[in-house]
Parts: sequence; C-alpha cells; structure tokens
Amino acid sequence: MDDILCESRTVNKTLAIINTSGLIYTYPGGREPSLVDVSLTIEKGDYVILTGPSGCGKTTLCRCLNGLIPHFYSGKLEGEIKVASLTVSEHSIYELAKHVGLVFQNPENQLFALSVEKDVAFGLENLGVPREDMRARVDWALQMTGIYDLRERAPHELSGGQQQRVAIACVLAMKPDIMVLDEPTSFLDPLGAQKIFEVIGDLNKKLGITVILVEHRLDLASKYANHVIVMDEGKVVLDGKPLDVFDSESARLIGVGIPKATRLYQALRQSGVYLNRVPVNSQEATLLLQEVLTRDRG
Amino acid sequence: MSVFEGFRFRRVLSPIHQLDPRVKFLYVCAVFGIAVMFNQLLPLILLFLIQLPFVLAAGVQKEWIRSMKGASFLALMIFLFNFLFTYFYREYPIFPPSSSLLEYSLAMTLRFIVLVESFSIFFLTTSPDRLGLALEQSHVPYEFCFAFTTAVRFVPVLAEEAQTIMDAQKARGLELERGNFIKRIRNYIPILIPLIVSAIRRSLELAEAMESRAWGATNKRTNLYVLKIERGDYILAVISVGMLILAVYIWLFMREQIPSLIPLITAQNV
Ligand SMILES: Nc1ncnc2c1ncn2[C@@H]1O[C@H](COP(=O)(O)OP(=O)(O)OP(=O)(O)O)[C@@H](O)[C@H]1O
Ligand SMILES: [Mg+2]
Repeated sequence: MDDILCESRTVNKTLAIINTSGLIYTYPGGREPSLVDVSLTIEKGDYVILTGPSGCGKTTLCRCLNGLIPHFYSGKLEGEIKVASLTVSEHSIYELAKHVGLVFQNPENQLFALSVEKDVAFGLENLGVPREDMRARVDWALQMTGIYDLRERAPHELSGGQQQRVAIACVLAMKPDIMVLDEPTSFLDPLGAQKIFEVIGDLNKKLGITVILVEHRLDLASKYANHVIVMDEGKVVLDGKPLDVFDSESARLIGVGIPKATRLYQALRQSGVYLNRVPVNSQEATLLLQEVLTRDRG
Repeated sequence: MSVFEGFRFRRVLSPIHQLDPRVKFLYVCAVFGIAVMFNQLLPLILLFLIQLPFVLAAGVQKEWIRSMKGASFLALMIFLFNFLFTYFYREYPIFPPSSSLLEYSLAMTLRFIVLVESFSIFFLTTSPDRLGLALEQSHVPYEFCFAFTTAVRFVPVLAEEAQTIMDAQKARGLELERGNFIKRIRNYIPILIPLIVSAIRRSLELAEAMESRAWGATNKRTNLYVLKIERGDYILAVISVGMLILAVYIWLFMREQIPSLIPLITAQNV
C-alpha cells in the first residue's frame, strides 16, 4: 500500500501539466495543416516562451490548449493533448477553462461588459461562484494586475495597454493552473510591456501558475523564462532552455528575435572573446563583460 | 458621431440613478396609463410638472432638455394634425364638448410630451448595466440580457469603425455625396461590406473569448451585482401606485368637473 502511494507521488512530481503528442491540425477549408507533428511536454510551474515567425501556428497551438480546437473550430485534429490530466478532446471548453486561462491577441474583442469589474467577474459568474467569494476574487485579480482604480470604467474607453491588463485580470480571477497569453503586450510600449512581464513573472513565481507566453520581444520577456519553444511553419523546431535555444544556429536562421545580449555574446565569440556564460539580458551582459575586462587586465 | 453620443450613459450618482430600474419602470407605466386616461389639458399639465423634480434630482437637465428638443418637431406635427383634422371634421366623436379645439390639440400634444418625458427620465437615469441586471432578475433568459448589454457596449465601437472605414474609402476617392438618391445609397456599399465583414469577425472572436471564460458551465449562473429594493424604491412605488389610484378615482367620478383652461384664462382677461 505504502509502496503504491510512494510511487504515485514520485510520478506526480515529474508529471507534465501539458503533454501533446503527434498533434496535426488543419483548419476547416485549409489546404495545409497549421500544426505539424507537435509533441511537447511542459512541466508544472514552468514559464514558457513560445515564439516564431508570423503565421507559424502559435495562436493555433494556444487554441488547442484550452479546447477551442477541436470544440469551437472544427477541422481535422490528430494526435493527443492532455492538459492538467484532462484529455482535451473529451472535455468541454468550460471544464478546461477552470484549469487553463487564455488571453487573446486582440484585447478589444475579449472584453464585452460595460464595466471592468463586471468583465473580470464574467468567468466566475459563469461558474456560479457565490457573490461574496466572487467580490473577493475580482478585487484580488484587479490588485494583482494593478488596475484596481479602473474597476468602474468602461473597458472600451481604456487604452490598449490597460485593456490588456484587464484581459489578464479576467483570466486570473478564475485562478487557473495554467495561463496562456497570446502576445499580451502587442499594444504596449516597451516600458508597459516590461510591467506586464513583471506581473506575469510574479504570478508564475508567487502563485506557481504555469505560464505560456507567446512573444516576439524576447529581449524583455526572456528574463523570467525557463523554457523556450520556437515554431516554424507549424513545426516545433527548437525546444529547451533559453540559453541553449538562443545560442543555436537555427534560431538565428528562422529569424527569432534573439536577445541583444545573446547576440553580443555571439559577436564577441566570433572575434575571439569568450564570456563565461551566455547572457540573456543587459544586466547579465554587463556583469559578464566586467568579469572579462577585470580578468584581462589582471 | 454625435448621434451616438446619446448611447453613452454617463455614470452619475444621484438618488434617482440608485433606484431599482424595475420600480422606475412601474413609475413609467403609471405615468403612461394616466396620460392615456385623460384628454383634458389640466391633468396633463399637472402630470408634466410632477415629473420635473425627478429631472432636477437626477441632475440630468441638460440631457433631458436635449431629448425634449429632439421630440419637439414630432410634437409640433401632432399639434398641427390634431388641429387641422378636428377643424375639418367637426363631428369627430371623442371630442369633449366643454373644451375648445385649441385646447384639445394642445392636450394631445402634451400627452405625447409627457410620455417622452417619462421615458427619457427612465433611460437617462438607468445605466444599461442595471437595466440588464433588472431584466435578469425578472427571469428574462440570460442570453437575452447578455445580448442586450453587449449590443449597448458595441454600438460606439461600431460607430467608430464605420467612421474609420468611411474616411479610408474617401481617401481612396469614394464620393459619398454624389448623384441622385439611388446612386447615393449605392455609394454606401463600399462602406457597408467591410463593416459587416468586420462585425462578423468581431462576433466570432467574442464568442471565442466567451467560451474560454466558461460560458455555459452551469445554468445556476451567479451575478456580481444584485438589485435590492430599498427605501427610495418603496417611496417611488407608493407614489406611482398612489398617482394611479387617484387618477382612476378622478376619471371615474370627477371627469366631468375638470375645468377647461382656455375659457378660464380668457374670461379673466376680459
Ligand atoms: N481561423 C482560421 N481559419 C483558417 N486558417 C487559419 C485560421 N487561423 C489561422 N489560420 C492559418 O493557420 C496558420 C497559423 O496561424 P496562427 O494564427 O496560428 O499564426 P501565429 O503564429 O499566431 O501568427 P501571428 O504571430 O501573426 O499571430 C496560418 O497559415 C493561418 O493562415
Ligand atoms: Mg497569433
């Protein structure tokens, strides 16, 4: 008896929260599949960056993770997806919504209430959460995303960046295990984007929410990530630790926006200067450069 | 664009705004009933004046005057039609014998104005949000309430989009104000088609977002807000019902005694 318990615990520890194998998906009327043989494993608590050129299937993959594919989009799906130990094709979108929150690329069309707090409450209302709990969770989500002061405003009168924060709060209020964010900073200036990344980083670190972030601006986002997936033409071409992925030759060829610090490292390496590690952001690069400079002087 | 400004409800805090929309609706119905009951000038003038304190208490004078101005053209038409038709067809049956032609036409016009007045008070002081909530709590299926609030929410967005498309097409040389009537209508096709396509795309994205936030998870949906009947609501309900009872009483027993105003005024002047 004890043995079985022990075993199941160790299995649970290494159990992936998202697991796809041999995923092939073609949109209805599409000639070529938008996802080709996608096999991924994402562990609980990971902060994953999903990147790749435009039209490579990032949004399509996000739709698979919360069941929009195959329940909302028909079309042809092969392979298997398991999310939070649920088989996606066998569970409805609203069951999956308790575990996976999806923030869409376009903030405008995912907010539909007349006030921000009503919008944030929408998912909880659908789940039938009692009103007192709902109030507390809505306020909490508003505070976590730093938009508590906007709670009575109309969502369509906010700026793009504020709307993106509201969209994140909407999903956060449902307390999902996994948050999938499809380019949540596309409407933001670099500073605003940085703030959003900090918020998401906090959610990941403090609450242990597994984060999957679709992003082109790797310079800013990669600081928090521990896992990077690069897609191209529907396929996963790179999958691993940020440093390994950014430093690989194929990342450069696909045109992934490799962080400037990593590019600096590569340039230095070509001219014969070796840094001790591969930096992903400017602070790290500064430190490593200082190390090298003092070493050379000494 | 200014046409759509009226759809934007401004959040104001006043005792009237706080009232339960259901009770306010009862009040509108009471006013409606009374206005239809009487066709003499005096009770309708009273009914018009009784409502003014509501407008002032809600602090919506400006918007209210604007909506009354909007109704003034129709009111004028109603006056003219009543006056001319009853003038040419004197044997018109429901004509109260004691009042003059002018007074009768004025009363009909005022009846219309009173109706517009009460409806505009209702819509100017009720946020679409609370109206949706009132519908929901009156056991209207949630899908309808949601459709209603979403429609209100997207009117300004679509208006803005129409403007953008219009500007874009004009910049490409589309001339809207040219040709005869039919031609002008056809000029709008290049604006309508992109507008419809984008509205459909928008609604699909909306549906996707709703599904992703557990739409339809349970049929015991809860709500962040709840409407509670409070003291002010009881007062308004009592006022409405009281007015209605009084009106019915007067209508039943004292209808013939209501003086007509114009002979009264002219008699004093002489
Ligand atoms: N609703 C749809 N119906 C049919 N085909 C679609 C649909 N959505 C996307 N596609 C196709 O699927 C492929 C992948 O699109 P997807 O939106 O997943 O790309 P993406 O990586 O998210 O791009 P971007 O960075 O521009 O958002 C594209 O070739 C696109 O044309
Ligand atoms: Mg996309």
